[in-house]
Amino acid sequence: MSFDVDIRKTVTSERRSFTLRVSFRTHARRTVIFGPSGAGKSLTLQAIAGLLRPDSGRIAFDGAPVFDGTQRIDVPARTRNFGYLFQDYALFPRLNVRQNIAFGLRSGLRNPSKQASGDEVERWLQAFELVDVAAQRPAELSGGQRQRTALARALAHSPRALLLDEPFSALDPELRDRMRAELDELLQRVDIPVLMITHDREDLAWFGDEAIYMLDGAIAERPPVLERRVPTRLKAL
Amino acid sequence: MTHFHTGRRIAVAALFALSSLAASAADLTVSAAASLTNAFKELGPAFEAQNPGITVVFNFAASDALLAQIAKGAPADVFASADQEAMDRADAQKLLAAGTRRNFVSNSLVLIVPSDSTLGLAAPADLQKLEVKRVAIGNPASVPVGRYTKGSLEAAKLWSAVEPKAVMAQSVRQALDYVARGEVEAGFVYSTDAAIMKDKVKVVATVPTETAITYPIAAIGGSPNGAAARKFLDFLATPAAQTVLSRYGFGKP
Amino acid sequence: MDAPLWVTLALTLKVAGWATAINLVLGVAVGWLLARKRFVGRELLDSLLTLPLVLPPTVLGYYLLVVIGKRGWLGHWLQETFNINLIFTWQGAVIAATLVAFPLILKSARTAFESVDPQLEKAARVLGLNEWAVFFRVTMPMAWPGVLAGVLLVFARSLGEFGATLMVAGSIPGRTQTLSIAVYEAVQAGQDDTANVLVVITSITCIAVLLAAGRLAPAGRVR
Repeated sequence: MSFDVDIRKTVTSERRSFTLRVSFRTHARRTVIFGPSGAGKSLTLQAIAGLLRPDSGRIAFDGAPVFDGTQRIDVPARTRNFGYLFQDYALFPRLNVRQNIAFGLRSGLRNPSKQASGDEVERWLQAFELVDVAAQRPAELSGGQRQRTALARALAHSPRALLLDEPFSALDPELRDRMRAELDELLQRVDIPVLMITHDREDLAWFGDEAIYMLDGAIAERPPVLERRVPTRLKAL
Repeated sequence: MTHFHTGRRIAVAALFALSSLAASAADLTVSAAASLTNAFKELGPAFEAQNPGITVVFNFAASDALLAQIAKGAPADVFASADQEAMDRADAQKLLAAGTRRNFVSNSLVLIVPSDSTLGLAAPADLQKLEVKRVAIGNPASVPVGRYTKGSLEAAKLWSAVEPKAVMAQSVRQALDYVARGEVEAGFVYSTDAAIMKDKVKVVATVPTETAITYPIAAIGGSPNGAAARKFLDFLATPAAQTVLSRYGFGKP
Repeated sequence: MDAPLWVTLALTLKVAGWATAINLVLGVAVGWLLARKRFVGRELLDSLLTLPLVLPPTVLGYYLLVVIGKRGWLGHWLQETFNINLIFTWQGAVIAATLVAFPLILKSARTAFESVDPQLEKAARVLGLNEWAVFFRVTMPMAWPGVLAGVLLVFARSLGEFGATLMVAGSIPGRTQTLSIAVYEAVQAGQDDTANVLVVITSITCIAVLLAAGRLAPAGRVR
């Protein structure tokens, strides 16, 4: 598997303008893009997912382009078949856990029913221990349960890669390590390529088979310096 | 100016008093049928010129609407109606100042069409033609011209044929406007109204009415401007005023 | 020449119903456009479309008359091409009511769509939904309470529309004489009894609408 990204994008809002100029390639199973807030990590991830259109450049997965400015290729997000985990999960507040997980499995104009079931749904409910809360809505879930629901939703339609936007930053610090361990274990089970963006060194330690550094909209050679924090666990850096 | 002649002071005070008396002396409110709009607007300044201190305020609408307002206490001093029925109702409700009612002009009912009409209508009977889809008629329930029209058409046994095509107008001026805009194929208005829009409508027939169209006018009882009201009524009978009225097409009462 | 009471009521509800239905589609479409798409002159367009809210209904009625009347450019074209004349028809009344009430749903819809978290729409896209599915499954359900409030406002406004309707549709009993116009006519003709009955019927209808509104969009469910 491989991600091949080489894009440019200028974003203007009100008075400021921000230019993204990113170029990297990775073959690792787990890649972490690491950098401070405002570095452009989220923009990059959204571009890869198809939620943001670069001004120019090329994005390819496993050699096949999903975006190519010169060849006028722009595969819409719905067909790129990547799973995406949003920073605050973006769970549909009026649908219960079942419906959220089943959401992507139904392509019509109607949402899955409250009792949505099927192999995929049951599988993920079991895998993430969400069976007991399957009929509840996101507002009634704990932070960890919400993350698992969001993950299940992203994985339900068997994506070819998982894109994670700061997956642990919304959680309490005590919960983070537990969730990291859970995700680690899950990824070993599911065996799906992962591209994660984060500003937390711990994430880098856990998931960074390959590390890419970003600063001010561009790739940085060396890891950017963030606030000093003693990592509670170091794998390899 | 430390000292003012006492005499001057009194004179100034007296002037102030007199002028304020004159100013509050009369805002004469005249509620008049819509067809009188243009003629009265010309007569108003003439009346004011002859009666300094009186300001005339006009209120034009369909006669029944005006009556409804007066019955509910609207402060009108004079009521000029386009038919006797509205004035009779006012009388029955004891709204009029005794002895002031009189007829002051007459009018006639005409059938008009838009000036670019090619339907060749020549008489009310032609309204039965298929090409005539809509006819503007004042609402008989509230507009005198509508009552005249209905009476006339009923007498000619045409009412049941024309009624389904009728578009009710709120006043004779609205009926006129409908014809002028070409939104209806024909309409019934007073000859005085047709004259106002000579370039947009043409008269195809004068319609005989059951009763002669005479306009009664009266002062409203209990109004604080009774004297001014009577002056206005007398003014309308003067040759000068009658000349103006006849210029607009009104006949002698 | 008056129509029976229930005919007038049915006509009024028909006109208001159509005006509401048309405004629902138009308001949602334009509101969504203004909320989601950025383009030059967007706010100017919003102001223009909100104009009917501040213009006197008689002014609007006059503009309509000039445009869709037999001599107006649109009315003339309709007459020549389809032999359709909108003046003095209930369809004309619907147009007048629609125009007058449109800003009410536009504001509500735009605000409602702006309050929908774009992240949710993005999530839906990544999960494989096309744009229509995103709209009907994510955007619309979240915006619905706001849109519904606008719909109810439109219905109430259309029920009571008078000035523009009178100008464009006239006052033809059974065909264009809605409740509010009938009240006016009755008062003009000095028919107080009729006026009283009409006023009571209208008030009851409006209260019923308010009650239905309370059921459909209970305050507690609005997020």
